[in-house]
Amino acid sequence: MSAAGRKPESLRTRLVVASVLFAALVTVVFASLVFAVFELRDATDREARANDRTVAALSLQELFLDGENGVRGYALTRNRELLSSWRHAQALLPQRLRTFAPMFEEGEQRKRASDLVESMRRYKLDYAEPLIRIANETPGAAGTKEAITEGADRIRGITARFDAIVAREQASALESADAAAHGARRAIAIAVGGLCATALLILAFGVFLSRSIADPLRDAAESSRKLAAGDLTARVQEHGAGEVGELTRAFNEMAERLQENRVELEAQNARLRESERLKSELISIVSHELRTPLASILGFTTLLRDRDFDEESRRRYLEIIHDASRRLNTLVNDFLDAQRIEEGRLELTFETLDLQRLLAEQVRLFAGQSERHDIDLEAAAHPLPVRGDRERLAQVLGNLLSNAIKYSPDGGRVTVEALRRNDHVRVVVGDEGLGIQPNDQARVFTKFFRGGAGASGISGSGLGLALSREIVEAHGGRIGFTSAPGEGSTFWFELPTDAQSGGAWRVQEPHDRGAKGGA
Amino acid sequence: MNRWVITVVGVTVIALAVAGVGGTEPTLKGPGIIRITSVTKRFARVDVGRRGYSAGDMQITRVSLFNRRLRKRPLGNGQLVCTATGQKFWNCTGTYILPAGKITVSGVLIYSDFYDMAVTGGTGRYNNVRGTQVVTRLRRSEKLMLFRLVIG
Repeated sequence: MSAAGRKPESLRTRLVVASVLFAALVTVVFASLVFAVFELRDATDREARANDRTVAALSLQELFLDGENGVRGYALTRNRELLSSWRHAQALLPQRLRTFAPMFEEGEQRKRASDLVESMRRYKLDYAEPLIRIANETPGAAGTKEAITEGADRIRGITARFDAIVAREQASALESADAAAHGARRAIAIAVGGLCATALLILAFGVFLSRSIADPLRDAAESSRKLAAGDLTARVQEHGAGEVGELTRAFNEMAERLQENRVELEAQNARLRESERLKSELISIVSHELRTPLASILGFTTLLRDRDFDEESRRRYLEIIHDASRRLNTLVNDFLDAQRIEEGRLELTFETLDLQRLLAEQVRLFAGQSERHDIDLEAAAHPLPVRGDRERLAQVLGNLLSNAIKYSPDGGRVTVEALRRNDHVRVVVGDEGLGIQPNDQARVFTKFFRGGAGASGISGSGLGLALSREIVEAHGGRIGFTSAPGEGSTFWFELPTDAQSGGAWRVQEPHDRGAKGGA
Repeated sequence: MNRWVITVVGVTVIALAVAGVGGTEPTLKGPGIIRITSVTKRFARVDVGRRGYSAGDMQITRVSLFNRRLRKRPLGNGQLVCTATGQKFWNCTGTYILPAGKITVSGVLIYSDFYDMAVTGGTGRYNNVRGTQVVTRLRRSEKLMLFRLVIG
C-alpha cells in the first residue's frame, strides 16, 4: 500500500504503543538498575569476604607466629614461661585451622590455604613439638644453629604462604572494590540515563499529546466559538492523529454542511422573499391590469344595456369590449403559462418550421395594431428552418413586437431582422423607444418586473420577457438585448437551425419584406 | 651340552635386561622434599684411645626407614658412620637406601637429637641431587628425616 493511501494509525493505537514503549523503557531502566545494584551488592560482598579472609589469615598468622616465637624462645632459653604463648596458640589453632581453609572458595586459593594449614600442622608435628621435647631432654640440641635455622626456614615458608594468600585476597578485595565502584558508577549512570530517557519520553509524550490532541481540540473549540458567533466560514486545520484527525474532519464537514444549509436557507429565504414579491406584484398587476379592462367591459356593457346607441357607436363600444376581453385573455394565458413554467409543466410540441414565415405572420399581425409605428422586416434570402413549437415561438415573437410597440409610446420605427449564422438562426427586434435604465437591465427577464413601465402608464403583466426566455431556452436557444435609455432597445434571440431540413426549404416570398402596420 | 648353554645364555640375557630396566629409572627433574622417619636398629660405638669420647672414636648406626602414611613395613634402610674429631664433634657420612635409589649425606654432628647434613649425591633417581638433610628426634629411637633436594 502506498504511503498516501495508508490509513493513519488511530490515536488509541498510538497511545497504546507509546504507553507500551514507556513501560518497556521504564522496565528496562529499572531492571538494569536492579541488576547493577545486585552486581554492586555482590561485588561489595566479595570485597567484604576477601577482607574477612585477609583478616582471618593475618589473625591466624599472628597467632601462629606468637606460638612460634614461644617455641623458639624456649629452645634458646629454656624459659618455660615463653611456652605459654605456644600453649595459647595450640589451644586456639585446631579450631582456627579447621575453619580456615573452608573460608576460601574452591580453587587455587583454597589449595593455598590447605597447603598452609598442612605446613603449619607439619611445623607443629615435625618441628615444634619435637624441639620442645629435645629442649627438655637435651637442651643444647634445641638451641643449635641447625635447629634454629630449620625453624626459621619453616617459618619463612609458612609466612610466604600466608603472604601469598593475603596478597591474593587483597588483590581480590581490590578487584571487588573496583567492581563495586564500577557497579556503583554504572548504577548511577543507568539511573541518571534512565531518568533522562524517561524525562525525555515523558516530554515527547506530552508534546505528542499536545500536538495530537490539545492543539486540534483548542482549534476546534476556537472554531466552535466562531461558528456559534455566526462565522460559518470557520474551519479547523485538519491535523492530529487518528480519532482527533477524524474529529477535525468531522468538524469541518459539519461546518461545511452548516454553511451549505445556511446558503440554502438564504436562497430559500430569497426565493420566499421573491415569491412574496411576486405575489405582491401579481396582486398589484392583477388588481391593476385586470381592473382596467374589466372596468371598460363593465362600463361599456352597462352603457349598452341602459342606453340606446346608433349602430356605429354600438359597434365601436363592442370592439372596445372585445379588445378588453382579449387583453384579459392574454393576461390570464400569461399567468397560466407562468404557473406551468413554475411547475415545470410547460409542454412544447416540436415540429420543423420556417421561422421566417412565422416572423412574417407576426409582423403582419402587429403591423395593423398601431398607426404610429412602422414595423420593418428585413427577411433573410433563404428559409430559416428550426425545430420548435410554433405557438410558443409565435408567442415569443409577439412578446418582443408587442414590447417594441408598447415601449415606443411616441411611435417610431420597429425593425425586425432574421438571419442565419452558421448553425443557428438569430432574430433581432429593435425599437426607438424609451430604452431600459441601466439599473433595471439585470432584471428585465424577471417575472413581474416592469421597471418604470407602471409609472409610465404602460400596461402589461411583466411576464412576457420571462416567458420568452423560458421558451427560448426550452428550445436550446438563448435570448438577450441591448438598450440605451431614450434611444431604444434591441432584443434578440437565437435558435439552433434544423440541420436535417436546412437544404430542403424554398426561398422566402419577397412580399414578406417591409410590412408596415397602422392602427 | 647345547641345552645347558642355551639355558645359561637365556637366563643371563633376561637378568641383564631386568637389571638394565632397573638402572634406567628417571632421575629427579626438580627440587623435592622427602619426609621419612627412621628407627634405629643397631648402634655400635668403637672407643679408641682415651676411654670415653676422644678423637678417633667411631659410632655406627643402622636404621630402618619408614613412611607410615604409605605402609607400616620399612621401605628402606640406612647407615651412618661418624668419627669423633674432638670437642664433641662427629664427622659423619651416611647412605640411605630408598626404593628409587640411594642418597648419601655428609656433615658434622654435635647433637644427634637435631642435626643437619649436606646431601652429597645419590644414585638411581637421586643421582644428580644435592641439598640438605635435617634430622629431628621424635621419640627415643625414632627420628624424622627431611631431605630437601635440589638438582645438582
